[in-house]
Amino acid sequence: MFSRTTLARALALPIEHSSARSASTTFRACLHQATSTTTTTTSQPEAPLSATPRAQTSIPIQQPRFLTSSNSIPQTRADVPLNKQPVAPTFDAPLKVSQSLLELLPNLTSQKPHFITAHLHDRPYLLTAGDQLRLPFLMPKVKSGDILRFNRASVLGSRDFTLKGGAQYLDERLFECRVRVMGFESEPLRITEKTKRRRRHVQKVTSKHRYTILRVMDVKVKTAEELLEEGAVVVESADSAANVELKA
Amino acid sequence: MPVQGIRSVTAARNGVGAFILQCKRLEFHYCDWAGSSRGMLSYLKHQLPAFAKANPQIEIRVSPRPHKHPVVKGHYVNGREKAICVRNLEPEQIVKKVHLLKEASGEKLKRTKKPVTSLNESVRGIWSPYHGGLKSV
Repeated sequence: MFSRTTLARALALPIEHSSARSASTTFRACLHQATSTTTTTTSQPEAPLSATPRAQTSIPIQQPRFLTSSNSIPQTRADVPLNKQPVAPTFDAPLKVSQSLLELLPNLTSQKPHFITAHLHDRPYLLTAGDQLRLPFLMPKVKSGDILRFNRASVLGSRDFTLKGGAQYLDERLFECRVRVMGFESEPLRITEKTKRRRRHVQKVTSKHRYTILRVMDVKVKTAEELLEEGAVVVESADSAANVELKA
Repeated sequence: MPVQGIRSVTAARNGVGAFILQCKRLEFHYCDWAGSSRGMLSYLKHQLPAFAKANPQIEIRVSPRPHKHPVVKGHYVNGREKAICVRNLEPEQIVKKVHLLKEASGEKLKRTKKPVTSLNESVRGIWSPYHGGLKSV
């Protein structure tokens, strides 16, 4: 989940692109300031948007809402410079939803509270809003107060309804799950005593693991109206990104 | 009628809305004479001003403690304190210790087996044998 590309997709994570830095920064500037003419875009020799796969596709893709609104740059921290702000995710195809999903989705969205089975490094965590999550590792390049967005989930549900992705993960455009980094904790010192036969010596092995503490800020299922507004396409039920099931 | 406690309506959950850093104060103690404070003195001179500027929410106190080893103490919102002895440490090592104190929550270290701690009620409710999905033998 935390490879470089997915990190950039995790909308709210401030991370700097080390590879092709200059290109990505100008691209980002164009993304966020699409409608307003800026000095950064005019100084570039080529229009950076033409290099993206989104513009090369022959089918005109309906722009998602977060790209068209120019002024709403998702700012996690005010002290983070603009070129290091989180990148809006770029998808090469619009979200596919079936008619049955659109019909059943209001049942799920209207019934609160929601739970989510979010996956991080392929480990599932069953979360609700307000939970504290202690990750079994020390997360690099974050500091306390940072906001992360989980974009992998297998199950999303309320009391009676479940949104399931099937074999693959749920599409990250279907939900929003944000967590805040609270700090780093460690466990008490563990001492394991190791002995060998016929040797009057006890070896003491110590370990002290460090953990990342997160707090789940919200678990939100997007409504059908929001999905359609963000450019979801209604397709046959076989191609749908997810299916809503009634609790058995 | 038995005495009833006041039932709390909400429980404080830092970070859901606003986020408050749990470390509120850091105290640096050093000795001017002793050699074990050499790294600490260098840290106080060169690294600490930048750290204090970067973290305005933390109160910084520096005071001498003659004839004793240097100590960094962190005071937390929950009233606890953590002290780390930094004798004979290099300034870079002290930077790591200060970072540890800053990011800590102030709670006593506990070994927990479950990754998720929740105050919320179960979303799905408690299973009942008498409701739903009854199977006939």
